[in-house]
Amino acid sequence: MMPTLHINGRRVTVAEDATILDAARAASVHIPTLCQFDGLEPWGGCRLCVVDMSRESWDDDWFKVVTACNHPVEEGMTVLTDSERIVETRRVVLDLLLARCPETPLVQRLAREHGIEKTSFEPNPEPDDCILCGLCTRVCDHIGVSAIASVNRGWGREIAPPFHQAPPDCIGCLACAEICPTDCIPYSTSSSRREIWGREFEMLRDPKTGEAVITKEQAEHFARRSGVPLAYFETSDTSKRREMAKTFEKLQVVK
Amino acid sequence: MRIESRDQFEALRSQAGEAAASCEKKILVCCGTGCLASGAKKVAEAFAEEVARRSVDASVGFMVKTTGCHGFCERGPLVALQPSGILYTKVKPAHVGDIVEKTLVGGEVLPNLLYKNPVDGERVELYEEIPFYKHQVRVAMRNIGHVDPTDILDAVAVGAYTGLAKALFELSPEKVLEEVAISGQRGRGGAGFNTARKWRSCREAPGDRRFVLCNGDEGDPGAFKDRSIMEGDPHSVLEGMIIGAYAVGAHEGFIYVRDEYPLAVVNLTIAIAEARKYGLLGDNIMGSGFDFDIKISRGGGAFVCGESSALMRSLEGKTGEPRAKYVHSTEKGLFDLPTVLNNVETWAGIGAIIDRGGAWFASMGTEKSKGTKAFSLVGKVKNTGLIELPMGTTLRTIIFDIGGGTLGDRPFKAVQTGGPSGGCVPEELLDLPVDYEKLTEAGSMMGSGGMIVMDDRTCMVDVSRYFLSFLEEESCGKCTPCREGLQQMLHLFDALVEGRGAEGDIDRIERLARAMQLGSLCELGKSAPNPVLSTLRYFRSEYEAHIRDKACPAGICRELTAYEIVEEKCDGCHACFKACPVDAITGVVKEKHEIHHDICISCGACFDVCPTQAIRTFPKIELQRAEVE
Amino acid sequence: MAETQCSDLGKAEEILARYPHQEPALIQVLQDVHRAYNYLPCDVLERVARALDVPLAKVFSVATFYKAFSLEPQGDTIVKICMGTACHIRGAGQLVEELERKLGIGPGGTTEDRKFTIKTVNCVGACAMAPVMIVGEKYRGNAKPARMAKYLAEGSDNDEN
Repeated sequence: MMPTLHINGRRVTVAEDATILDAARAASVHIPTLCQFDGLEPWGGCRLCVVDMSRESWDDDWFKVVTACNHPVEEGMTVLTDSERIVETRRVVLDLLLARCPETPLVQRLAREHGIEKTSFEPNPEPDDCILCGLCTRVCDHIGVSAIASVNRGWGREIAPPFHQAPPDCIGCLACAEICPTDCIPYSTSSSRREIWGREFEMLRDPKTGEAVITKEQAEHFARRSGVPLAYFETSDTSKRREMAKTFEKLQVVK
Repeated sequence: MRIESRDQFEALRSQAGEAAASCEKKILVCCGTGCLASGAKKVAEAFAEEVARRSVDASVGFMVKTTGCHGFCERGPLVALQPSGILYTKVKPAHVGDIVEKTLVGGEVLPNLLYKNPVDGERVELYEEIPFYKHQVRVAMRNIGHVDPTDILDAVAVGAYTGLAKALFELSPEKVLEEVAISGQRGRGGAGFNTARKWRSCREAPGDRRFVLCNGDEGDPGAFKDRSIMEGDPHSVLEGMIIGAYAVGAHEGFIYVRDEYPLAVVNLTIAIAEARKYGLLGDNIMGSGFDFDIKISRGGGAFVCGESSALMRSLEGKTGEPRAKYVHSTEKGLFDLPTVLNNVETWAGIGAIIDRGGAWFASMGTEKSKGTKAFSLVGKVKNTGLIELPMGTTLRTIIFDIGGGTLGDRPFKAVQTGGPSGGCVPEELLDLPVDYEKLTEAGSMMGSGGMIVMDDRTCMVDVSRYFLSFLEEESCGKCTPCREGLQQMLHLFDALVEGRGAEGDIDRIERLARAMQLGSLCELGKSAPNPVLSTLRYFRSEYEAHIRDKACPAGICRELTAYEIVEEKCDGCHACFKACPVDAITGVVKEKHEIHHDICISCGACFDVCPTQAIRTFPKIELQRAEVE
Repeated sequence: MAETQCSDLGKAEEILARYPHQEPALIQVLQDVHRAYNYLPCDVLERVARALDVPLAKVFSVATFYKAFSLEPQGDTIVKICMGTACHIRGAGQLVEELERKLGIGPGGTTEDRKFTIKTVNCVGACAMAPVMIVGEKYRGNAKPARMAKYLAEGSDNDEN
């Protein structure tokens, strides 16, 4: 069963378990997102992807505001991504984010794209770049580490390691820093050391090439999770390619 | 002791009934949280001592029982006497001797301890004649005040678990569902969702393991009906949950109790232990073959955990962050399994509905809101307390006939219903019959049943700010519109109450309100603007006064209000001097007193105590203008 | 790691023995811990995390999310002022101010001698007696700022008020 729905008047058919966002992408309709990331469970926190949705059985003019990233599609659904109230809601969301993070380039850009140069609200007196999208903690959970989490609630909510000190469970994989849309997680990495969240890691080096590959903790974690021997993770990509290339020597051409 | 058949249950019931009837005269001492706070424990102890003394003379049989909340907390400690039906109010240990000697033995009524009707000054003898109780129809609260909540046999004697026996032995799970459907009962927690519909969608969800949950996280400030039910008649909740579990096929249940209700946790724990002992919980309930057990879980202090998906996360040991509702919790709830979550009051009504039939319940109330509803009537009203009434009773009846009108007969301004998700209903709507639809139409909502009466000394801008401030602290922080929106809304309101409001602020507030209603993830954020929007609807002029005139018409907002003593009315009684926390008042007894504006913090303590209404408020800005001149 | 703390872990072990060692028990365990130690010491939290097999970051997340928990040692007597609607309109704010004047600390604070901690709390459900204060375990209904000294002096003493 592959449902067919209409997005901004465009007809599109998608997989049964698709979300409205999947359908929009299939229909080449752009919906802005901040806390969504392919491969991670949708979270529905930023509220930027709100759309107006009407079910087949509803009256034609009866719509409900839902987030596209996690709302399932249904046969005969009608979706509007640019109705007046949706555009206005999106603008207020960005206006609010701009108040929280007035100096963050990504937020400034998105706000500007929606016609907002300066926040109409009271700006954060001590701004930082964290938009509380939760991607860092979600990817950390996904990897099975959960070294950081959200702390406090409400406006004072923040992302931090336990007790605001070097997190004992962190494996130094840098996934949180990589996924952060505003690059607000600082880290340093070199051929021998890596530092993030106040923790220092020693880098494992490829025995053949001497390249810094991965932290010991990350290698051990992945080896444990996958059952693949530790040695595999210690090997750099360059070495892996060379090993693979060597096996081609044994290939015979069959005529 | 374990009941293994319906016959055995009936036998226990008769036994319990006989035991209760054997003692002719009963003394029921209310020991709900309110009365306990007024010293009810000592009163109960005094009665116990007195009765023990007298039982040496075995000719008279008395029984002292401590019960749950009678609801008339304003007049506590409350003592009800049976079979006479006399209610004594504000009882102290010193009164106990007389009560036993003169009333119980001598049959004489003590007028000073009777309720005095504030409207006509008459003393009312009987419990059921007191206007506060006369209008009530108690279903969910049917046993509270009559039973000792820590004694299961007391509850059984008055009918507890009778509905359960009927369900297990006469009705199939499907028939139970039908009966609840006939009753038309809607959730009593605030959302008002049809109970039978919710149960049915859980019943139809695939899977072997499912749960029934009780939402005891009564978070609306001003509502305490769930507390009273959990403390005063825990068996009504247990019975309801067992019946519900039977209907949907669940074998596990949880009662989630607010951290701030320790007595409720204690009494529920005792009730569960006793129910298990008698085979009314656990394996093979009453010998019916149905297994079901209940555990108690305490909240951690978070209003948002009253929201169903947040509550479930909290039961899972996580932070109380709600999740999107696209997947219904009746299909995927606690631990992603089918779950029915209902409010305490909803569960408490089920036993009665099954016992007396859904049609009986549906015979009360309005077309779309069947049955009765518990309300906590509080605030600037004379008779504050807990009441249960048929849906459709008007606000006027509730506030004036039952509540006795406003405190000090000050002008009525509004009644706030539905807690932080609700709104203020003004005087012109006092004849509104209370039900889910009518309150929503008026811009408020039923919510948990809290009704907070407000008089002319209540500022609507301040009330909105209060609710925003409450929600701002309770927001989980997951979604942008709520987390950021509440913070910014609060900034706007701080400006209004401090005299920094500007033209256009109301538009800004309305724009933000709309975005919060549409964009927030859960009802906390979505309904946060309700108090604001309802006060704007009915009291817009107050907002405008704050902005344009820098004045607070109610005389409450401190930055905008100054106080002064009207010389002609001051009789020098010195009460204001004593009440002032910052020594801003000078004056000698019997001579005119004066408030010094440079020290006065405009707290209003003097205003509240002045017996001659000699203190008046006026806009502080007039002081500044006077200085300039 | 976290500042080395030397709490008596014996109490924690007793508590942990009462619950299944799984995440759903976390909040109940933390409440018992809070009652036993009068706050949540960080080394006890580490022990709880290990025992329940919950990542420490999540334990900390839960400990900081719920208002019932304090990560700092609290005073011997906790004074709670109800900020419910009924209490608000009947003068709860005045009670808070009077406490501030008397004890020199605001809501959330603890006196230097660790005798008192002041907390503003959500509606405690005794609205008919507004404004309500709870000193230790003792409820004070119809509380008046003028009687604050008396309330503090009598503390949790369970005699009639």
